[in-house]
Amino acid sequence: MSDGLGNILLDLFPLMWSGMITGCLYALGALGLVMIFKSSQVVNFSHGNVAGFAAFLIYGFSSGVLLNLSWGVAVLLAMIAVVAIAFLIYAVISPLVFESELTATISTLGFGLIAQGATLLIFGADIVNLDLPIPRFSMSFLGLFITGYDLTVLAVAVVTIGTLFFVVDYTKLGIAFRAISENPFAAEVCGLNLRSIHLFSWIVAAILGVVGALLIVPTTFLSVTTVAAFMLQAFAAAVIGGFASLPGSLVGGILIGILMNLFTFYVSAEFTSTFLLVLILLALNVFPNGILARAGGSRV
Amino acid sequence: MDGTANALTGRGLALSFGGIEVLKGLDVEFRAGEITGLIGPNGAGKTSLFNCLTGAYRPQKGAITYLGHALDGLSPAARAGKGIVRSFQHVALSPDLSVLENVMIGVARNYHAGWLHAFLPTRRGTDEMAAMRAAAEGALSELGLAGLEHKLPSELPPGMLRLVEIARAIVGQPAVLLLDEPAAGLNNSETRDLMRTLRKLATSDLVMVVVEHDMDLVMSICDRIYVLNFGAIVACGSPQEVRANQEVVRIYLGDDDD
Amino acid sequence: MSKSSASIETMPGSASGNHARGWLAASGADYLLAAVLFALPFLIGGSWTFALGICFANSIGVLAVSVLVRYGGEVSIGHSFFAAVGAYAVAILDTRYGLSLVASLPLALVLGTVCGVAFAWPSRKLSGIYLAVSTMALALAVPELINNADWLTGGYEGLYVSQSVIPGVEASLQRYYAGLLALIAVVYGLRRLRHSRQGLTLLLAKQHPAAADAFGTRQVWARIAVMGISGGIGGVCGAILAFAGSTVSPSSFTFWTSIFLLVGSVVSFYGLSLTRALVGGAFLTLVPQFLSASGAWIPVLYGLALLGMILIGHYLPRIRSFLFASKGGA
Repeated sequence: MSDGLGNILLDLFPLMWSGMITGCLYALGALGLVMIFKSSQVVNFSHGNVAGFAAFLIYGFSSGVLLNLSWGVAVLLAMIAVVAIAFLIYAVISPLVFESELTATISTLGFGLIAQGATLLIFGADIVNLDLPIPRFSMSFLGLFITGYDLTVLAVAVVTIGTLFFVVDYTKLGIAFRAISENPFAAEVCGLNLRSIHLFSWIVAAILGVVGALLIVPTTFLSVTTVAAFMLQAFAAAVIGGFASLPGSLVGGILIGILMNLFTFYVSAEFTSTFLLVLILLALNVFPNGILARAGGSRV
Repeated sequence: MDGTANALTGRGLALSFGGIEVLKGLDVEFRAGEITGLIGPNGAGKTSLFNCLTGAYRPQKGAITYLGHALDGLSPAARAGKGIVRSFQHVALSPDLSVLENVMIGVARNYHAGWLHAFLPTRRGTDEMAAMRAAAEGALSELGLAGLEHKLPSELPPGMLRLVEIARAIVGQPAVLLLDEPAAGLNNSETRDLMRTLRKLATSDLVMVVVEHDMDLVMSICDRIYVLNFGAIVACGSPQEVRANQEVVRIYLGDDDD
Repeated sequence: MSKSSASIETMPGSASGNHARGWLAASGADYLLAAVLFALPFLIGGSWTFALGICFANSIGVLAVSVLVRYGGEVSIGHSFFAAVGAYAVAILDTRYGLSLVASLPLALVLGTVCGVAFAWPSRKLSGIYLAVSTMALALAVPELINNADWLTGGYEGLYVSQSVIPGVEASLQRYYAGLLALIAVVYGLRRLRHSRQGLTLLLAKQHPAAADAFGTRQVWARIAVMGISGGIGGVCGAILAFAGSTVSPSSFTFWTSIFLLVGSVVSFYGLSLTRALVGGAFLTLVPQFLSASGAWIPVLYGLALLGMILIGHYLPRIRSFLFASKGGA
C-alpha cells in the first residue's frame, strides 16, 4: 500500500517538475495574449502563427537557408521582424479595434492564416530542428532529473516575466497600460494615447511569443504547426487565468502544464485536446473571471 | 381592501449596489384603474424601482406582489408572462426589424406555436403571425404611427421611436404597464397625443405606472403620484396634494433642471 | 465577462437603413440562381458537378456560421464539430446499416441541433471572445475524438459513403442535387425564421437582451436556440459534405475547417440568402481548386480575403457617403 503510494509520488514529482517547465512556456504565450486583450479587448489569434514564423526566420537566418548568421544575430533579426509584423498588424486592425473588438479579433485570424501561408511558401512543409545554444548538462536532485534545458527555460521565464511585471508595475508606460486596461475611456480623457499603449502591448506580446517559441521548439521539432499548436495551450492558460490578469495567466500556464502532464501520464495521451476543451469550459463557467479573481490586490 | 386586491405592491423594497443604497426600504402600491406617477430628481431610484418590479434587479429586502401573488424569484420573462410589461428609458428596439415587427414582439408572449411552425409554412404559424401583425398594426395606429409600419428604426426620429417603444408595451394587452419616461424626446403635440392615448388606455383592470420628468404630463394624467428622493418616498398623493407638499417643492426648487 | 457587447456586423452599410432590410430579403437573384443551378449539370462537365456539390455543402456550413452571427451576434470557430457530427452520422448509417441520406440527413440535422444545444448549455453565460475561444477548443477536440473512436468512425482512414438516394440515377447527379436541394431548403427555412415569432424575438434578444427579457424571451433560451439552429445547419452541412464527397475522414474536420467556414461567412458578409451563401461556399471550394498546384497560397489568400472583406465592410459606408457626396455636388 505504502509502496504504491511511494511509486505514485516517485512519478508525481518529476511529472510536476516537467509540467511546471512547460507551464512557464505556456505562461509566456498566455502573457502575450493577455497583454493584448487587457489593452484592446482583442484576442490575438495570429499569436501562434506569427511566433512560429519568427522561429522559422531564426532557423532560416542561422542555418544557411536564407542567411548564415550566428544564432544571436538571427534571433535579433527575427525579433525586429516580429516587432515590424506586430506594428503592421496593429496598423491594419486599429480602426476596427475602436469599432468592434470581435471584428478585430476575427481579422487577427486573417493575419494568422497569412503568417501560416508565408511560412509554408518560404520554408515549405518540412520539419526542421532548431536547438538552443546551451551546454548539455543534467543533474539529479531530490529524485528529479534536471537538465540544462530545464534551467534555461526557468531562468529565461523568470527574467522575462519579472521584467514584464516590473515594467507594468513601475514604469510610466506600464502605469498607462494599467490605466487603459482598467478604463480606456477615462484614460483617454486623461490624455493617454490609446494607440501607443495598444502598440506597446502588441510589441511586447510579439516578443514574448518569440521567446516562448524559441524555448518550446527544442523539445519537439519545428514545423508549420508546432508553435501554433503550442499557443493553443497558451490560450487555455490565459482562459484559466481569466484572460485579463497577468499573474492569472502565469498561474494558469503552470497549472495547464502540470495538469496536462498528469493527464497524459495517468489517464490518456490520446485525449489531450478533449481534456483542454473540458478545462476551458470548466474554467470559463466556474471561474469566469479567472482563478485569481478573488485574490485581488495585485496591480498587474 | 379595495384596490389592494388587484394592485401591484412593493413592501420594504431595499436595493443596494456595492454599499450604495439605491432604494431604502420603500413601500409602494400601484392600483388597477389608476395611472400612478413616479417622479423625483435624477438618481432618485425611479428606474431602479422599475427594474425591481420587472425582475431585472433582485432587491435585497422586501416583497413584491401582484394580485396577491408573490413575484419575488420570478424572472423578467416569467413576469412578462403574467402581463407585467415595461417600456425603456433608452429606446430598445431591434435595428434589424421593421417598426411593425418590433411592435409584434410585444404580443409574442401570447402565442406559442413551436419551432416547426417557425421553419415551415404551416397554417398555425401563418395564422399566428397574421394575428400578431394585426395586433401590432392596431397598436401603431392607436399611437398615431399608422403608415410607418415598414420603416426601420434607423429611419425614424427619436420621438417616434419612443412611441414605437410604447406601442410595443401596450400591444399585448398588459395587466401592468410600466412606462419609463414615455415623453422624453417628444414635441408638444406628440406629448399631448400621448397623454390622450394613455388616458384612453387606463381601463379599470390596468395598473399603469409612469416615470416622467414632464410635470405637465404627470400632473394632468396621473391619479396618484409618488415622489422619490435618494431612494425613499418623500410624498404620495393626488396631484393637488403633491403640488402643495412643501418637501416636494423644496426638492424640485433645489434641483430645477427639469 | 460581457465586455465585448459591440455588434460584429460591421458589414457594408449596416448604418444605413437599406442594408438591414437587404441582408435577408428574398431577391430575384436568388430565384434566378436557383433556376440556373438546377439546369447546370446538363451544361457542364462531371468534375464541375462534383466541385459544385462540395460547394453547396460548404455554403450550408457558411450559413451555419452566419446564422449565429446574425441571430446571436456571436462568432464561432468551432463549426467543424457540428459538420463532423453530421458527416459521421451519414457515413456510419451508410456503412453499418446500409441506410441512405434519406434516413441519415434528418438524423444529422437532429444530432447537430442536439450537439449545438449541448454545447450552448454549459457556455450559456459566455459571449463574444469568450464564446469564440470555447468554440475553438471544441474544434480542436474533434480530430482526436474521431481518431480515437476508430471502431465507429474508421479512425484515420475514414469511411466511404456509397448508398444512393434514388437507385438507378447517376451518382454524380444525386450528389449534386442532394446538395442543391438541401441548400435551398436551409435558405428557405432561414427565410421563414426571419419572419417567425421566434426569429423576431431572437433578433431583439441579440441587440437588447434586457428588452427581450422584459417581453418574455429569456436570454438563456435565445442563446441555446440560436446555437441549436446553427448546430443543426452545421450537421446538415456535414451530411451533404459526406454525401457529395462520398468520403469522410478526420482531416476534413480540423480547426482549420472551422476557420475556413468563418472565412466563408465573412466573405459572404454574413448573408443568409442563397446568393450570399453561395458566394461564401464558392470561395471556400473554388479557391483551393484553382490553387491546387500551390497549396501554400490557400491560407494566404483566405487570410487576405478575410481581412479585405472586413476592411471593406469597415470603410464602405465612408466610401459610399464620399461617392454620394461627390455625386450630390456634381
